[in-house]
Amino acid sequence: MFPTNTTGEHLGRRAFLKGALATAGGMAVANWGGLFNSQTIAQEAARQNKRCILLWANGGASQIDTFDMKPGRPTGGPFRPIQSNVNGIQVCEYLPLMARMTDKLAIIRSMRTQSPDHPDGIYHMHTCYKQNDRMPHPEIGAMIAKYLGNPEADLPSFVRMGSTGNAGSGYLGPRFEPFHIGQDGRLPYFSEPSVTPQVQERRTDLLNFMEREHAREHRAEAFESHRLAEQRALRLMRARQVFNTNEEWPRARDRYGNSTFGRGCFMARKLIEAGVPFVEVGQENYDSHADNFTVHKANMDVLDPAWSGLLQDLQERNLLANTLVVWMGEVGRTPYINNRAGRDHFIRAWTIVLAGGGVRGGQAYGSTDRDGREVVDNPVTEGDLFATIYTALGINPRVRHYVGARPIWATPEGSRPVRALLS
Amino acid sequence: MLRLLTLGMILIVVPVTQAQPASFADAKLVWTLPWDADWVTAVSFVGNDRIAAANKVGDMLVWNLPAAPGDKAPQPAHRLAGHTNEITRLLTTPDQRRLISASLDHSILLWDMKADLTEKASVVVLNERARYEAESRKKKMPAAIEVTVSVQKKSGELIGHKDWVLGLSMTPDGKTLVSGADRVVGPKKEKEGEIIVWDLPAGKEVRRWHTKGWPWGLAVSPDGQTVVASERIPLVFDSGSRSALMLWNAQTGEMKADLSKEIKERMSGAAYSPDGKWLAVCRGGEANGLSGKITLLDPATGKKLRETAPGHLDGATDMAFHPDGKHIFSAGRDTTVKIWQLADGKHVRDLGQGRGGQFKDWICAIAISPDGRRLAAADMAGMVHIWVLSK
Repeated sequence: MFPTNTTGEHLGRRAFLKGALATAGGMAVANWGGLFNSQTIAQEAARQNKRCILLWANGGASQIDTFDMKPGRPTGGPFRPIQSNVNGIQVCEYLPLMARMTDKLAIIRSMRTQSPDHPDGIYHMHTCYKQNDRMPHPEIGAMIAKYLGNPEADLPSFVRMGSTGNAGSGYLGPRFEPFHIGQDGRLPYFSEPSVTPQVQERRTDLLNFMEREHAREHRAEAFESHRLAEQRALRLMRARQVFNTNEEWPRARDRYGNSTFGRGCFMARKLIEAGVPFVEVGQENYDSHADNFTVHKANMDVLDPAWSGLLQDLQERNLLANTLVVWMGEVGRTPYINNRAGRDHFIRAWTIVLAGGGVRGGQAYGSTDRDGREVVDNPVTEGDLFATIYTALGINPRVRHYVGARPIWATPEGSRPVRALLS
Repeated sequence: MLRLLTLGMILIVVPVTQAQPASFADAKLVWTLPWDADWVTAVSFVGNDRIAAANKVGDMLVWNLPAAPGDKAPQPAHRLAGHTNEITRLLTTPDQRRLISASLDHSILLWDMKADLTEKASVVVLNERARYEAESRKKKMPAAIEVTVSVQKKSGELIGHKDWVLGLSMTPDGKTLVSGADRVVGPKKEKEGEIIVWDLPAGKEVRRWHTKGWPWGLAVSPDGQTVVASERIPLVFDSGSRSALMLWNAQTGEMKADLSKEIKERMSGAAYSPDGKWLAVCRGGEANGLSGKITLLDPATGKKLRETAPGHLDGATDMAFHPDGKHIFSAGRDTTVKIWQLADGKHVRDLGQGRGGQFKDWICAIAISPDGRRLAAADMAGMVHIWVLSK
């Protein structure tokens, strides 16, 4: 198992300001690392109004206990399959709401990946590159923020709830660093102003005046970066009402389930609706080396309403067609059940699920053998997955950036989008 | 049996019942019954000379035990067919007539253990898992060890639960049965646990109520008035905030006492002594170090009396009071059975040894024969161990 970040770490004043600084500061260091910024691609992708939500199963969910069941086999475990609303696709009995939405899901049952542990798996499944590569690769959220984000928006382009990715914006620079909020989607307590909006506005004007005067005599990139971070924080404060769900949540709770993750998914929908191009919501507790079945059962009680509620909500608001929802973690779990009633990490044959914008729902892509030990057909790599996601979102998966003189691509050499998954 | 004691010149004749062994120093393993289809998860004596065991895939077998310890290990005689998922608990009624099984298939089944077995015979493979492992690792497959057994079907069913039945307990008179299941949608539309009190002779539900967590450890007091339930939502990174231990009024379904402030840890099992003088709970789930301990409580107040030490490595799984009224036995995730003295919590001895490796196999459940002479242990490695506790 691995240590998890506490909610407190994400809610701390330092983390909050760091997120604001990083998001804004990048404006001052747009050429950080000699980065080549393809404005044309970004503008084209942004025009399509595509969005992405990543639901992150932190620790690695068990494919056999969710979407690639092996009933009656020694690896099958105690869960039973139920028929979904798509002929021939069965899912776990503890995902009954998702079973009714399977026509919207593209279930990839043939993931074969390379990084078997948590830090390297989290890095790899957030960047599609191995962690030991010397290049600081950006996370998928940073890449999507770059190509689908609006630099003038008050809200950040890459919002993260929960402890999930570990790579940040990498070579894309601090402008695309994730903006952390609480696991339940709430801003930290100190983001609430202690004065009236009018007073706050006068203070801001005074601060801007003094800073302009100061900057006239003290020209320095670091100072400019700091000034932009402050402006970014102030702009965020203008838009902070989006983060206030106190009135809406009691109604939404019935749909999303009364859980922190459910509330995070609800916030993800709100942020997407408000124009944020990438939101990541983490769900803890999947690293079940011991007591896998009780743990997964409890987790699915949280996952099922939250995920299905999100899809339903997006659909009802006509957002699903343009919003890709990805469910994955860093690893799958072994078919073999160990002597702690657990399943360990497994990367030879596991499952990731896509839904919504750009993908063709109602399908199970690839398959594994009768015990789930090996991929039988259509193996999908990290690069293939990311190429598929980027293609679905209108981003060229082979877009090239430069770090110094070195070219680097959004997905590794040889990565191919899985056309059968795309709509 | 009579024992002669000499006190000076006075000869006293003292009756000694067979259920009162003075010590367990001579306890020894006499038979290991192989059944390697999957984990053996539950076990119960039927009388003193029959043992029923159940496993993770929902099968149940019954062995007739030889009278003498030196005899050859018996083969299974019967198969009880009906469950379709892991069997979590087995109990035998005091008249030794009925076996009761609880399962993850949501059911509680009743089995008439004195019925004529007229069903046709079937073949049980006792080394199924070893053959599967060999096949999946592409190694030479061992020959199947086959035994022909008679097959028995259920005699009844208690219908009420809609999800995993995790807990089962019965009063010593066999009139009241209490069962607990997880994941019922409660009044607040949240998933909760559920406890049902049954009139066992009538096979009817008497009462039911909800618990916030899943009821893992469950026991009914001998007078049938109180139910103790340890609750837990089983998440990996759970500091215990989702745990609770409650005493409930079995007649009304109202909470009598919340022991959660005193008992903060996750408890996997609960048991009342047959005389009602002791209430025991054991810490389970995977816990750090030797923390699979037994806590003895005052059954009236729930006040903590003492804890046993050292606990089971990685958690305790089951407990059984010995009929002598002086000892409690515990099993755990360390392949051992531990014997404890109730009066002072002293560790008497271990039965069995921890197997090698960082993580041991489990003894999933234990049972003691009504006469107190034998103990059966359900071993996840695919075995039932029979110990003779006293001659």
